[in-house]
Amino acid sequence: MRIINSLAVRLSLLFALVSVLLLGCIGTYLYHSLTREIAWRDDQMLQGRLERLESLIDNGESVDMLHRRSHLYANMLGNRDSLLWILDASSRVLIEINPSDLSVPNLPMTDTVRMLDTTGPVQARLAWHTFIHDGRSFTLIAGKLLDERNQMLRAYQLTLWFAMAMGALLALLLGWGVSRHGLKPLQRLVEQANRINIRQLDRRLEVASEAQEISHLSHGLNRMLDRLEAGFSKLSRYSADMAHELRTPLTNLLGQTQHTLRRERSASEYQQVLASNIEEYERLSKMIDSILFLARTEAPSKESATEEVDIGLLVMQLCDYFEGMAEDDGRMLINNASGLIVANRDLLRTALANLIANALQHGRSNTPIHISTHITGEKLHLDVHNRGDIISQDDLPRVFERFYRCDPSRTGVAASGGLGLAIVQSIAHWHGGEVYAESSDKNGTTFTLILPNS
Amino acid sequence: MRILVVEDEQKTANYLSKGLGESGYSVEVARDGLDAQHLINEDEFDLVVLDVMLPGLDGWQLLQLIRRRSQVPVLFLTARDAVEDRVKGLELGADDYLVKPFSFIEFLARVRTLLRRSPPREREHFRVADMEMDVLRRRVTRQGERIALTNKEFALLELFLDREGEVLSRTYIASRIWKMNFDSDTNVVEVAVRRLRAKVDDPFTHKLIHTERGMGYVLEDRT
Repeated sequence: MRIINSLAVRLSLLFALVSVLLLGCIGTYLYHSLTREIAWRDDQMLQGRLERLESLIDNGESVDMLHRRSHLYANMLGNRDSLLWILDASSRVLIEINPSDLSVPNLPMTDTVRMLDTTGPVQARLAWHTFIHDGRSFTLIAGKLLDERNQMLRAYQLTLWFAMAMGALLALLLGWGVSRHGLKPLQRLVEQANRINIRQLDRRLEVASEAQEISHLSHGLNRMLDRLEAGFSKLSRYSADMAHELRTPLTNLLGQTQHTLRRERSASEYQQVLASNIEEYERLSKMIDSILFLARTEAPSKESATEEVDIGLLVMQLCDYFEGMAEDDGRMLINNASGLIVANRDLLRTALANLIANALQHGRSNTPIHISTHITGEKLHLDVHNRGDIISQDDLPRVFERFYRCDPSRTGVAASGGLGLAIVQSIAHWHGGEVYAESSDKNGTTFTLILPNS
Repeated sequence: MRILVVEDEQKTANYLSKGLGESGYSVEVARDGLDAQHLINEDEFDLVVLDVMLPGLDGWQLLQLIRRRSQVPVLFLTARDAVEDRVKGLELGADDYLVKPFSFIEFLARVRTLLRRSPPREREHFRVADMEMDVLRRRVTRQGERIALTNKEFALLELFLDREGEVLSRTYIASRIWKMNFDSDTNVVEVAVRRLRAKVDDPFTHKLIHTERGMGYVLEDRT
């Protein structure tokens, strides 16, 4: 079965099959037209013979004379496969030339020339005709044995079969060669592809020099490589960013603890350091949680339960949760959200909580935060709107990147270490949705979570 | 109260057993599954704290063995917080789980809950120092003066009073007051506690709610 998997083998087999079909059709056609042609010529000849005999008789040769000189006709006909009978009205044989000793055929009377193939061990083609001469009726029968013709046709048939077999074999061999040659670009593609590895993800397959089909394939593969390279560099950037983010709390922990141990200190100082350490540990732990969360929501084909979620209720619970914080800053959370959606409740709540927390963090004091929904087509839009810090146009698409901070000098504001919005995005993607941000002086800042509403 | 800690990581085992010892429990430590099995067969325990990643006999197998002979409460610890893992543990008969890394306060709170055999009776009346709470009439007084609280503040104070002397972590408070089982990055709990303090502590010299830095909050009479 393995050999059938080779494209070259398959192609050459197909070539052979096609040639067999083609040669078969042509052979059959040739054979039949030859058969028809020969039969037509034989018929013509028999008919001519009948006509000549009839005119001979008409010209005064009496049948008796003919009878007496029948050997003459036998010679005249000249070969051993010709037949001739002349019968009178009572089917008595007047003249017979019959080297194969066929029995006298019993034929109906006819004015016109008629043709017939005899059946039996010896096959013959007969033409006969009845005519009146001197008030007597005669039946002329001319015939030709088919042995020779059949033999010839059989030989011809054999030749055709042989030609067809040879043609198929030739097609197989040629097909093999042609396929091998034609598939060479594929081989080159494989060699090129083999040269690309994780360290050389920037390499691309050559496109220009190859056949169109191959260059389409190369294009497709190159586009795939683009995506892989982007994903891969994103991933390694995340790893680097993550390592950097982990460094800050670790530096604090290390330095602070070593500094404390350098000399004897009071119990309250030790307590102070340990408590401060806990805060750093919590930061680290929180960061690890967030990274794991992202890894899990982004893992392909991870199924989690979805259920019908009442958005209005969910937002109400979250407003209740954040209410104290908002009021503390003289702000209000205004819930205009409603509707049902099939989603994972916990994930959706986390996403919304992160958006609201983000709005609380970046919004201006004494301005409200609006949470509202609207439906367009198959999508449910969930807007979280606040007034306050404007996100610049350059930063807008990047705020969802991990560890991205609009203001690089500001670190550690959120305990999630810059992962809150990345989490929102991964949750949106998990649901087959999207999230984007808009920000302007006039309209304030709006984060919109779009979820499929089906 | 006797607690069996099954944990192969030495540092973890040490601080768990020390911490539980200081909280007034008597603790046995088993370093692997077979040890644990032996101890469980020999002895009676009120609670088993079980790490699922164990050499020899793993935590799941041990849990099944325990469940065959007793209904002792089991709290399992895991470093993997995949949902399947938690579900598996609970299905096998564990009573609660904690995902590493966990805070000790959180751990202690779970241990206390599991050891409280009967469900806690809803108390109707609390008194700590000069503070009184009448749950049914929703009245809070200090030095006889009535203090007006919002629903959330009342619920928070009730939680503190119910767990008088216990340090409550922010996560625990969030899960009890807002039924939020997720860690938000915000200082919602700090704000709520601060607002409560502004009403019940700030006007008085004798403070009742204390911050345990890095751990949480505790309500107790420290005189």
